[in-house]
Parts: sequence; structure tokens; C-alpha cells
Amino acid sequence: MRETIIVMQREMKAYFCSPIAYVFGLLFLFIVCGVGAVFTLNPGFPADMTNWFVALPLVFLFFIPALTMRLWAEERKAGTLELLLTFPVTIPQLIAGKFLASMSYLALLLLLTLGLPITMGSVGTLDWYPVIATYFAALLMAASYVAVGMFWSSVTRDQIIALILSVVMLGLLFLVGVWGPLLIGEVPVWLGGDHVVLFILALSPQQYFGSISRGVADTGDLVFYAAFCVFFLHATALVLYGKKVKG
Amino acid sequence: MISVAQLKKSYDGIAYALKGVSFEVAKGEVVGFLGPNGAGKSTTMKILTGFLLPTEGRATIDGLDVVWDSLQVRRRIGYLPESTPLYYEMRVDDYLRFTGRIRGVPGKELTSALSRVIDLCGLERVTGKNILELSKGYKQRVGLAQAMIHRPKVLILDEPTSGLDPNQIVEVRKLIKQLGEEHTVMVSTHILQEVEASCSRILIISLGKLVADGSLADLLSGLPGGDVHLRVRGPSESVLSQLRELLGESVPAEIVSQDGDVSVYRVSVNETTVAVEEGIAHLIVKNDWALLGIWREKGTLEQVFHAKTLHEQVEAGDA
Repeated sequence: MRETIIVMQREMKAYFCSPIAYVFGLLFLFIVCGVGAVFTLNPGFPADMTNWFVALPLVFLFFIPALTMRLWAEERKAGTLELLLTFPVTIPQLIAGKFLASMSYLALLLLLTLGLPITMGSVGTLDWYPVIATYFAALLMAASYVAVGMFWSSVTRDQIIALILSVVMLGLLFLVGVWGPLLIGEVPVWLGGDHVVLFILALSPQQYFGSISRGVADTGDLVFYAAFCVFFLHATALVLYGKKVKG
Repeated sequence: MISVAQLKKSYDGIAYALKGVSFEVAKGEVVGFLGPNGAGKSTTMKILTGFLLPTEGRATIDGLDVVWDSLQVRRRIGYLPESTPLYYEMRVDDYLRFTGRIRGVPGKELTSALSRVIDLCGLERVTGKNILELSKGYKQRVGLAQAMIHRPKVLILDEPTSGLDPNQIVEVRKLIKQLGEEHTVMVSTHILQEVEASCSRILIISLGKLVADGSLADLLSGLPGGDVHLRVRGPSESVLSQLRELLGESVPAEIVSQDGDVSVYRVSVNETTVAVEEGIAHLIVKNDWALLGIWREKGTLEQVFHAKTLHEQVEAGDA
């Protein structure tokens, strides 16, 4: 635990020592809040935060891979990975530290978007339950995206390639989540019918974001995010163990 | 302190970078690990530090297996990898504090550990700077400082002086020698003077095999005898013919330089005993010439290195 925290603190420092954290942060807030406000602030209608994070999945799709691309690729390229792996720290501890650092940064950004809901709550009546559910869903989705981004960062020493591979993978999962439902009833039975569609749909984090932010989350949704993250973090660990064999 | 037995490593399952290396290093030794580029120095060190897994064989540090007790081993070592990788965006003191903490230096002792390595490595002037801004020599010193902030039992330094200017090299060598008083040190290099300057023992590795192991004196004594030089005032023709008579026609003897009636001769004898010098001195004196000097060329580590590594490479059809 101590080691995980030390790794996390160093990563956080690395974020905030570079201008990237601030530039990205401002851009993120501008887009998410801007688009959210357009969809949320309808004069004459009751306060409703349902569409507050309408832009979030798309923004995350580009933003999170850009945030995670350096996590391992930079260490590999600079050779610091060699030193990192000879510190008395286990690979899971290293992964957890970096994961938590990215999540803390994203949580901070989400926290900064609370301005609008707070304003709306103070000038009108706001149902806080869906707002909290939306933020919770946003964090879970961020976690799943970070896990994917971290995995692709571990397989290459080139940050741009890590970025592209993450965006492609997350983009496909996003599209499946958005357009997949249209395929229900369209796939012939000999190809597996709706079972196949539902299976593929089940793989997209997008699917679960919607239901959680509508406030109808069940444990299945949480299990999905947990399993999704564990899968990619474990894959990252395997890649790093592979480095110990292949050099 | 370090024990390596039949260590083998293959990166691809076909070619072996290490082909069964075995050696022991006792506590407090400063061992120079020599070899041509690509001989397996770095691979051995990466296995000892737990970065790489060996394909076969066993290595222990302080009695702990580098594979099975990896975390314990890593607490006991300090490592400076070949290219001195550092987090360039960090400040020197922040970076050293990070490496100290992650290597388990307790919070209370961190400040004193920090000032100790800053002092030892001469980093006072740059503690507040970003590592990125430092010169190569200072970066190297930061690398050394991070390797010893936790007072490890074993220090493993992979080419710590590469890329430094001559003054910096001298300083780093001095530092390594100093470190040997407290730690067991293993330092790899392909610069031979470095080993002569700071190591009590030498290991030479070539093409994945250990080809020599011993102190500098041990290794030099295994060399064929060096040439004997003598400076004599006297008729050069007769000196030369008398020398040939004494030593036999098969021993090459020649005049190296001549200045009036003073000449310097070189005699390439194979024998290493002082009997050779004694015989020559006696001969000159007997002929009533003036013996102005007699000395024997010393074998150098270069010669050992060439002899050991070239031999291996020729055998492998690689030279």
C-alpha cells in the first residue's frame, strides 16, 4: 500500500509539473461544461441534469488516451522502466499507483464541473440523486478507459502509437454501444441472432454508462466495470512480466 | 555476497546471451566486470538486480535467490543502469527523495539519507535544479546517488563512467573506490584503466562466458614475460652480438634507439624470472661497458583482455 501511494504521488507530480495537466484540464472543462450547458440550460423548463454529461463519453474517448499514453511508453522509451522494475515494488503495486494517479486527476476534473449543478441547486430545485449517479457513472467509465489506455501504453515505447491504438479500441467500443442496439432483431439466427448482438453490446462500457446515470444501476453494471478494468490491468501486468523474460 | 551459478539467458529461446556464467563475490569486494560490447555484462547485471529473469541457473545475493526472493534482493541492492535513466522532469532532491522512499528508507531518516548522498556525490550545487538541466556528469552523479541512498549491501553499476569527461571519470572512480569501503560493488566497463584504478578483483566475460577471474596481479602474472630493455654505453655491434650469444639466436634482440655511443636495446624473452636481467647485467659489467639502465616492460590489462577475449572470439568463429 505504501509503495502504491509513493508511485501514485510521483505520477501526480509528473502530471502537475508539466503544462499538459493544465492545458488538458481547461480544454476538458470547456468542452464538457460548454456542451453540457447547452443541453441542460433550457429556459422555461425545470432544472434537469440528465443531459449534463452528454459530451462526456466522446470527450473521454480522446482525452483519456492522451492522458494515459505516457504512463508506460515514456518509461520504456527513457529506460526508467528498468530502474522502476528493480525497486522493491511489485508490478501490481506499480500498476495500481499509476492507475490511481490518473483516476485522481480525472476525479479532480470532474469535481471542478460541479459548479453548474451547485448553481442550479441553489437557484432552483434540483433532484440530486441522478446528479450523483451521473458523476458516479462518469468515474466508472473513466476507470474503464484508463485501464484500456494504460494497457496500450504498456505494449509500445511510442506514445503516439499508444494513443492511436487506445482511441481506436475505445472508439469501436463506443460505436458498438451507440449503434449496436439498432442491430437487435437484424442478425440472422444462423449467425447467432440476438445473442451475438447482446454479447457484443455487453462489452461496451457505453452500455452501462447510460443505465447508471439514469439512476438505475444494478450490481451487474458495477461488476462489468470492475471486470473490464481488472481484465486490462491484468493484461498490462502480463506485458510487464513479459519484459522481464524478453528484456 | 553475490553468488552466480551456471547462469544462462536467452532472449529468444534460440541464441544465448549468457552461456553458463558462474562466479562468487565476497563482502566488501569491488569487482570490475569487463568484456567487449555485447559480451553479456549488462544481461548479468539485469538478472542480479531482478529486472530480467534468467533462463537457467541460479543467482543469489546475500543468500537470497534473485528470482524467488526478488523483493528482498531488490531491497539490498542499488542499481545504476547503463544509460542512467532518470525522471528528467523532476528536481534532483525530489527525485532522490522518491527513490529513497520507494526503496524503503523510513521517513525520519530520509532527510539525513538525502544529505549524505548529496554530500557524497557532490550534488550540493544542483539539488534544486531539474534533472533535465544538468550536465551529463551531474546526471551520472544523481544516478549514483539514487543507487546508494538506502545504504544497500550491494551496488551494481553498469558503465558508470561512459560519456563523462576525463575529470569526471577520475571523480567517479574515486567515488567507486570510496564506496567499496562500505558496500560490495560490482562495476561493469569496457574501459580498462577504470578497473585498474578502482577494483580489487576482475571478471572478464566474452560471448556469454566467463574467461578470466582474479586480481589484477593474478591476471598479469599469467601473461608471457614482457620485453627487457637496457640502456648501455658501449660499442653497439659487440653489445648486440654478446647478448645474442648469451640468450641464444632464437631470442630477438634489437637496438631501439641510439644516441652517440649510448644505445637502448630490446630483448624479447619469454622467461619471467629475474635470472634474465641478472645474466644480462653480469654480461655488460664483465665486458666493462656502462649499464645505464635495465627494466622490464609490464604486462597490461589490455594484453590480458585481448588475449582472453580474442581467443574466445576466434574459437567461436566470430573475429
